Amino acid sequence: MTATSFEELAAALKPEADAIVAQYEDSRSALLPLIHRFQDAQGYVSADAMRTTAEWLGLSLAVVESTVSFYTLFFRRPVGRYMLQVCRNLSCTMNGAGAIMERFRERLGVGHLETTEDGLFSYEEVECLAACDRAPCMQVNLEFVYDLTPQAVDDMVAAIRGGTYPVKPLAQTEAPARSWHVSKDAVPRVPGGRDVPDPNDPGGIGDRTGVIMLDRVVRDLSPDRTRERLVKDGRELLERGH
Amino acid sequence: MDTRPVLMKGIGEADLRSIDVYKSRGGYEMLERAVKTMQPAQIVEIVSKSGLRGRGGAGFPTGRKWQFLPENGEPRYLVCNSDEAEPGTFKDRMLLEETPHQIIEGMLIGAYAIRSHHAFIYIRGEFLRGYEIFRAAVEQARAAGYIGKGICGTDYDLELTIHRGAGAYICGEETALLNSLEGKRGEPRLKPPFPAIKGLYGKPTVVNNSETLSYLAPILRNGAEWFAGVGTERSTGYKIVSISGHVKRPGNYEVPLATPIRVLIDECAGGLRDGRKFMAVQPGGGSSACLFEEHLDLPYDYESMAKNGTMLGSGAMVVFDDTTDFVHAALALVRFFAHESCGQCTPCREGGHWLEQMLERIVHGDGLESDIDLLKSVSHQITGLNLCPLGDSIEPFLSSVVNRFEDQFRAYVKVPVAS
Repeated sequence: MTATSFEELAAALKPEADAIVAQYEDSRSALLPLIHRFQDAQGYVSADAMRTTAEWLGLSLAVVESTVSFYTLFFRRPVGRYMLQVCRNLSCTMNGAGAIMERFRERLGVGHLETTEDGLFSYEEVECLAACDRAPCMQVNLEFVYDLTPQAVDDMVAAIRGGTYPVKPLAQTEAPARSWHVSKDAVPRVPGGRDVPDPNDPGGIGDRTGVIMLDRVVRDLSPDRTRERLVKDGRELLERGH
Repeated sequence: MDTRPVLMKGIGEADLRSIDVYKSRGGYEMLERAVKTMQPAQIVEIVSKSGLRGRGGAGFPTGRKWQFLPENGEPRYLVCNSDEAEPGTFKDRMLLEETPHQIIEGMLIGAYAIRSHHAFIYIRGEFLRGYEIFRAAVEQARAAGYIGKGICGTDYDLELTIHRGAGAYICGEETALLNSLEGKRGEPRLKPPFPAIKGLYGKPTVVNNSETLSYLAPILRNGAEWFAGVGTERSTGYKIVSISGHVKRPGNYEVPLATPIRVLIDECAGGLRDGRKFMAVQPGGGSSACLFEEHLDLPYDYESMAKNGTMLGSGAMVVFDDTTDFVHAALALVRFFAHESCGQCTPCREGGHWLEQMLERIVHGDGLESDIDLLKSVSHQITGLNLCPLGDSIEPFLSSVVNRFEDQFRAYVKVPVAS
């Protein structure tokens, strides 16, 4: 989304935002409702959305970001047009959720917390959705789907791909990355800590750039995009005479 | 047996989402009677006498909770907890989607009883459909003069605000819910002070579950004695039980408390699937310890469950037959708690992940025999060391199935052989 169009969105939302703020004795209570509105419009919680919310509520960006990061339904990176959230909790597991999750992974070619390359599907295995009487269950863009079977998974994926699925797609203002999940594991760890080689270790790497890039590649980029990116960067370097 | 006697009456037969239908069945009559003819203190007394206890999980007496509010002239808040996320529980979502006016009427009566002028409902983020239905019902109620200034022509004013969560089990814990409602991370607060003293915005606040509040109008209509006459002396009235797992007819069943567990499983939920054998039942949500064959004739009430080392909790009953792999079942629940830990308390944050990693190791065939004792030891070191009950919820199910079905765990682990 370009700067101008975000400004337009913010301007359009402002009157509603003021009405939301007025419902509460303390304006900070409007934080979740405002972030919900921005996510509905943009498909994810953009940095602009957090900055604007912070400004409107008189909070620091850090406070808004810290709060947003607590909640699993706020996506801090762009996601697919269909968010598939399959229950992995007890009653569903006991009634065949394992086969459902396996079928989705197979049909979509992605795993937990990942988005398909065409930006159509995001896939997540979630906790109890309060529909245990109709297990295994899931939500598609927060609409419930009950009594799942592997065949129903195939039909759903086909219908979404064919544009005939009855659930409205999410807004998508930016191309999604491989995963929207900003996990604590994505933060480079202290050298010597778990998963990161110690720079002083003769077998390790002194410069962590490689680790950080590898992390990005694994989490954000598909093999094809990685290849494209390498070719593009390589060409630019050659053109600049390196 | 009538399994829809009070709150579930009419669900599936009439469109209770419509205020006209709800009113044609006596809806909002009790609100009108309350604000026009009763003093708030009278309502508190009736609810106390009825013995109604919190239906969200803790089972705290509702009337007593209300009486904790200090008389200090500060504004008070009523918050309805519809952040249902306890594994196996699906009653609040049903109430929200099927009979929203009953919740609204309960909130209004409860708010009037505690002399609050601003009530909130916190709806789980995943319940988008329920939120939309509830919002439409609130608009209808507002248009009919039940919400806002001068309710039912009296001088009682009440504003009602709907607040949507955004994905966090922990926000069902009342102080985490209040933080979330204040626009903060949903992290539980240190208690005391309890919400009744310092709750929302630091003001006296009552947080009641949506099923609890829904019972207020029926109690006013039929009297405290009616409710107190059902169940046992300390576990009075009706309760919606969500039954799922390996039964023929999973669903919500509203029954008198102290109904035997066997009746709930066999008569309400249609019993086990053909040819299957009963192994265990988790009687009170993901946080509760399992009961077994020898417990099937126990009455389903707060005291009997506590006496047998478990709890009634939110009334979510998960039934396991002889096809159950309890190692995988334990992993599913432990992973849930590890995922939902807010991270404030070390035993809960780290312990949950340790247990999850150990169980992962075990199900993948990499576990050692000693891991079984380690599971017990780690889980016991989490309990009792946390700000809120989430950490304490990890151990009960795990311990109960490790102890009972140790052979299943042993079948997965490597036994060291002398070389």
